[in-house]
Amino acid sequence: MRKKLLLIGLFMFCCIMQSIAQQRTITGKVTAPDGTPLVGASVTVVGQKSGVTTDNSGNFSINVPANAKQLSISYVGSETKRVDITSASSVDVQLVNTAANLSEVVVTGYGGTSRKRDLTGAITSVKAKDFNKGVINSPDQLLQNKVPGLEITNNSGMPGSVTTVVIRGNNSIRAGNNPLYVIDGVPLDGRSARPSVTLGTGGFGTTPDVNPLLFINPNDIAQMDVLKDASATAIYGSRGANGVIIITTKRAVSSGTRLEFNTSFSTPAGYMKKFDVLTASQFRSALKKYNLDTMSTSLDNGKTVDALKAITQSKLSQNYSLALSGGNETGKFRASFLASKFNGFIKTTNLDKYIGTFAGQYYFLDQKLSIDFNVIAAHTSDNASLISSTAGSQGNLISSALSWNPTTAFTDNNGVYIYPSNGSGNPLALLAATSDETNVNTTLANISASYKILPSLTYKFLYAIDHSAGKRNTNINGFLKGYPGISGLGFGAISDQILTSQTFTHTLNYITDFNKLHFEALLGYEYWKSDFANSSFSASGFNTNLDQMNLVSFPYTSILANGNTQNAPSTYVDPTTELQSYFARVNLNYSDKYFLTATMRADGSTKFGKNNKYGYFPSVGAKWLISNEDFMKDNSIFTTLGVRGSWGITGNQEFPAGASQEQFGFSAYNTAGQLNVANPNLKWEQTTSYDAGIDFSFLKGRLFGSFDYYNKNTTNILFQSTAIQPAPASIYYINIPGNLINKGFEIGLTGSVIQKPDFDLTLGFNIAFNKNELTNFYAPGTKNALSIVTGQISGQGVSAALSQIITNNQPVNEFYLKPFGGFDSSGNQIIGANPVYSGDPNPHTLFGANLDLRYKKLTVNINGGGAGGYVIYNNTATSVTNIGGISKGRNIDLAAYNSKEKTSSGVGVSSRFLESGNYFKLRNATIRYNIGNIGKYVKDLNVFVTGTNLFVITKFTGFDPEVNVDKTNNGYPSRSIEYVPYPTPRIISFGLNFNL
Amino acid sequence: MLRYNKIIKLALPLVIVIAGCTKLNESLNSRLTNQQTSTALGAQGTGLLLKAAYADIAGTFSSQDQVFSLEENTTDESLVPTRGGDWDDNGVWRVLHAHTWNADHQQILNVFNSLNKLNFDATNVLAFNPTKSQAAEARFLRAYALYYILDLYGQFPFRNPGDNLLNAPEVKAGADGINFIISELNAIIPDLPADNPITAATPDAANVLLMHCLLQKGAFINRAAPTFADADMQQVITLGNAIINSHKYSYTPNYFDNFSVSNSSTSKEAIFAYPNQSGVNTNHANIEARWMMTLHYNSYTPDNPNAGWNGFSTISDFYNTFSTTGVTTYSRSDSTLDQRIGHRYNVNSTPYSGIRPGFLVGQQYNEKGDPIKDRNGNPLAYTPQIAANMIETGSNLEVTGIRVVKYVPDFTNGGKYYSGPAGNWQMLFRYPDVVLMVAEAKMRAASPDIPGALALINGLRAARGATAVASMPLVNPNNVDDPSTLLAERGRELYWESFRRTDLIRFGVYLKTWQYKPTDDPKNLVFPIPSQALAANPNLKQNPGY
Repeated sequence: MRKKLLLIGLFMFCCIMQSIAQQRTITGKVTAPDGTPLVGASVTVVGQKSGVTTDNSGNFSINVPANAKQLSISYVGSETKRVDITSASSVDVQLVNTAANLSEVVVTGYGGTSRKRDLTGAITSVKAKDFNKGVINSPDQLLQNKVPGLEITNNSGMPGSVTTVVIRGNNSIRAGNNPLYVIDGVPLDGRSARPSVTLGTGGFGTTPDVNPLLFINPNDIAQMDVLKDASATAIYGSRGANGVIIITTKRAVSSGTRLEFNTSFSTPAGYMKKFDVLTASQFRSALKKYNLDTMSTSLDNGKTVDALKAITQSKLSQNYSLALSGGNETGKFRASFLASKFNGFIKTTNLDKYIGTFAGQYYFLDQKLSIDFNVIAAHTSDNASLISSTAGSQGNLISSALSWNPTTAFTDNNGVYIYPSNGSGNPLALLAATSDETNVNTTLANISASYKILPSLTYKFLYAIDHSAGKRNTNINGFLKGYPGISGLGFGAISDQILTSQTFTHTLNYITDFNKLHFEALLGYEYWKSDFANSSFSASGFNTNLDQMNLVSFPYTSILANGNTQNAPSTYVDPTTELQSYFARVNLNYSDKYFLTATMRADGSTKFGKNNKYGYFPSVGAKWLISNEDFMKDNSIFTTLGVRGSWGITGNQEFPAGASQEQFGFSAYNTAGQLNVANPNLKWEQTTSYDAGIDFSFLKGRLFGSFDYYNKNTTNILFQSTAIQPAPASIYYINIPGNLINKGFEIGLTGSVIQKPDFDLTLGFNIAFNKNELTNFYAPGTKNALSIVTGQISGQGVSAALSQIITNNQPVNEFYLKPFGGFDSSGNQIIGANPVYSGDPNPHTLFGANLDLRYKKLTVNINGGGAGGYVIYNNTATSVTNIGGISKGRNIDLAAYNSKEKTSSGVGVSSRFLESGNYFKLRNATIRYNIGNIGKYVKDLNVFVTGTNLFVITKFTGFDPEVNVDKTNNGYPSRSIEYVPYPTPRIISFGLNFNL
Repeated sequence: MLRYNKIIKLALPLVIVIAGCTKLNESLNSRLTNQQTSTALGAQGTGLLLKAAYADIAGTFSSQDQVFSLEENTTDESLVPTRGGDWDDNGVWRVLHAHTWNADHQQILNVFNSLNKLNFDATNVLAFNPTKSQAAEARFLRAYALYYILDLYGQFPFRNPGDNLLNAPEVKAGADGINFIISELNAIIPDLPADNPITAATPDAANVLLMHCLLQKGAFINRAAPTFADADMQQVITLGNAIINSHKYSYTPNYFDNFSVSNSSTSKEAIFAYPNQSGVNTNHANIEARWMMTLHYNSYTPDNPNAGWNGFSTISDFYNTFSTTGVTTYSRSDSTLDQRIGHRYNVNSTPYSGIRPGFLVGQQYNEKGDPIKDRNGNPLAYTPQIAANMIETGSNLEVTGIRVVKYVPDFTNGGKYYSGPAGNWQMLFRYPDVVLMVAEAKMRAASPDIPGALALINGLRAARGATAVASMPLVNPNNVDDPSTLLAERGRELYWESFRRTDLIRFGVYLKTWQYKPTDDPKNLVFPIPSQALAANPNLKQNPGY
């Protein structure tokens, strides 16, 4: 074996020697129009794959074959330029800015790329330089407000919060609306290994999950491509219906080695927007107003406290990132390291991330064989607080803070927490009594080999494994009073979750030219498998930490067996999900004027019934680049003008595995039973979509943009129908032949307003309109409209109340509430008897805007955006800060106080609590100064300060109109309900970066 | 040609990979398929399935919003007033007491589904080669579920073991339905193990269910005007006497020991019960809901606020049925009253609280005997009067309504399981029910045996510390809460045990008015088939009027 390796090594050495012997060296410098050197510009020999990048002074040196004729020099934001090198050994190149970026490379999946100008589908590509800045915990936040038709909602202000990502409208009535994420060719599972914990005891409910993409270092991302229409997504078949986001990580682009370092520090600077409850003095006036000041036991406890402030912290967060890269024509590598400790706005919460990556690309056999690998190893650790989406008034930290009597001290003179018996928990006691730490380790590794069989034919094999394991230790100390099942007992739970998915992909790529016809074909096979398992152990009835004054330092989860109530352990292994796919794509380009893309994918899935294992997903897209026609040559208006259209079918298989088979499960204490009503006829939910678009640029490319109209029709809707009793469950999955329609249009515009050596100003704007409606939504075989109610409303007095409906001729999740008719003469709410359709929780309009300004070495970037045409249900105001609380000494909200409502008014779910969600948020603003090189080694030193969530303009009275607290009912998600979420802070960060 | 060869060479492995691909059979990992279940578990597996069916009883019969709610909140024994911010819940509780529900009521759907899950799980046992006694136990559990479904909805869906669950099953209603249940019980009683514990089906438990079926049969056939066939009454008497004369059961000296945390050993009346264990969550029936749902936040100890949910109450007319003399105020030290009202018993029963079982009215005290205050700082003194529309808005909203503590809070282990998991076993069938059914059958027989009935009734009354009565009519159609009737006696003995609605229908007074239910409609004698269930199974027929 060793001998064999030696031989191979020798052979390779010879190859390298041989190739060097035939080469010559070209040197040069690449500069911008203003003469500043361009660092990291890519220099390649035309017709070859490998190349070098310019160093910190813009210089490059490249070995080229003796017979090489042209070099291609490209740089992000500039027109790619070819220079002749037949008779030169040194070339200096000045690149021209191209605002239009129409020659930028867009990633289309499975190794495919296209120039933006040639695209037949609706794909928006965002490069690293255009990403959102400031505090970014997960990669999806980089894109917020950047892509027309892409809605990214931070569900709350929690560090690493889950985001709701919707491309072109709500595509499914179930959960699983998120797009497919593909990282460097590896499709992700979408689930997270962070265990979810539901605390039934104590009424604490389920704490929100965190973002499944936290393992990706945002600094490592080179570009993100958002595939929106079927022509682009159908190549992802059954997982493409919600759109696809392709993440491409940075590759080494260097001759020689290069080190990038950046660091930043941040701190919360108060609430972006406060939820207005009464201050202590307002509370005292309120007691007078409602004649509560004469009670035998005064509700005014004489102190002045601000509970909302008491639960927050302004702790400094740190972020260090280092990337090392290097290589030459035959291979290159990039390694990066991120260490960040992000302290949450709410005390005790934090998110720490440690991420290392190693990626490389090496060429062998005269560059015919290329080996690519990429390894991400990430450790994330977070501490959550009791901010659950389903808790009653007491079991949630935020509701306890909101309803805390502002005249009551949190502790008595001895430091012992005060527990009022008015239904409000003590927020500081909750913080002190809980710890909820989760550690998730993720490894995503992929290796691919591609071999050029012929100059025009490449075979590629990719294997990837994504393994993620999470462990969560949840502890609530028994000294906390007033919580059934916790008080005097204590509670500890250890939860584990493991997610492993593997991908095998084989592709054949054929590229050729016949005269004016450029032809590309892709043929592929993919096998994807995902395993998911979790387990949890919990106990209560401990002997320690039952007395606040006498605490031990270790948590219950370190002594779990000590609890005298051991709950039955729960373990679950999800059915293995396997997908087997065959796909093909053909791209035609005739004379750079006419473009055609056709794709076909056949997907087989374990999730579906015997009769419907396979689904077929075709698409076709075409483009006419009018500006390349001869008759447009003399026009002085358009630099480019193209029209395109596409049609295709994509699928959705995001629903619980195992639904097509009869399942028997084992439960605690030797019981076993049938669990579900099996449906062997289950098949894919499919979305047929059309897209028509125009791409244009004017004024020599200084103003450019796109316009798209689309129409998506989802049918064979996977639906949980009422089981026919007697049955082992109340619901089962079937396909319903209804139609879920999303249609709308999108406009993206960018203008390079000023382009001068010392002064650049670029403005960008995008807006999207979407209309969502469910039609023909009937019970199978009937014309009786189906109705699913969802959107749980939580809190005391509103148990089991639901607020949203999924039904025929309405948008998905339409609010369905009893109408509010003002207050009667006694100041009680007048609430209608029957619910009515009350408003759409899905934004009709999404918009984003950005401003990039450079004056000499100073740059300013401002990004903002918002949504409009939707309503939010303020569940917090319904049941936490409602007026009735004040008679028990709970705090109430200012809106209730300012209304005619009296304290006797009952709690009720009604349209009263629907509020306009329209908002504009200044997401981030950055001022950066480029100091330049310092001394011999430090290059390109930049210092910056960024403000995140600087302000929001809205009429919504809650913490943040960008909110989506999970109020799922029976597996049907809710939309736009606020219920005591983790509040959004304003964050100021500052930092520096440089290269060596 | 060379080119072609190369393509073949490279494409070959690809073809092989594709050919060797998966068949996409889904592996369930922690679950089994039907086929695997029977082979993997063998004979023992059927026992596991049977245990799962028993476990279905837990939620269905103990939660405050399941069978209990439909059988009790619709009657004169219980109601849940809305108290400011509490217990509005979109009006679900109020419409039950006011008899203004509709087919979309969430509890009406949930109960239908949970009873049918028991129906299904019991039936499924029969598909896995049960032993004779396992089959008998499963059929008992199915009969138990069907009896309640028939009682609540007037019809029940029925599947044979192994039926395709995607097909709509047949439905039995009225006489068909009750006769089927009766024939099932008659068929299985010989096969039921007599030495089973009270937590499993025994011949006695099945006989009690059979007695209920026979007594209620006339009401199932004609709810508006139930008739009672003499043969059925005679059989009720025969079955009941057999249980009485077996002397396996007797009256528990202290009534509330039947409902205490140690009732598994102290109750001599338990015939069928669901077991709970203090501090054990698994298969636990959340029996603590029975006191949490009615007690006030401050009921327990001021150190542990939120010791109750401050909801369920009873009406004063029902409360007053405990006095044959019409006295409406009872003192804490009163020694002449029926012990079932509570009061005298368990004064400061634990060092942890002053909660006493029974009916709570007036000032409440803590473990030291000091008066408790409500959250507004007013005395925690329960008052009988409830707002006419059951929506309390006044400053007294936390104290209105008489509260009922039938199950004595679990104070074992220093009160740690007060709010759960509590250890009281849930009583499903009790001996006094048998005695009262025999007495009722004697009165309803073609030739009534009044003295025989009175002897049984007075025997029970004596055990409860109540004075003997010289006569006792079945019911007073003009006053549902006439204390002198057998209906009232059943109420005094079996209140909050999920029998009241059935009793009121059988005694023909379910549509009469009572407090906070000013009007009624004949359709309410049976609940509607839940809209969702109706849409799923075309064989179900919506009940008249809905």
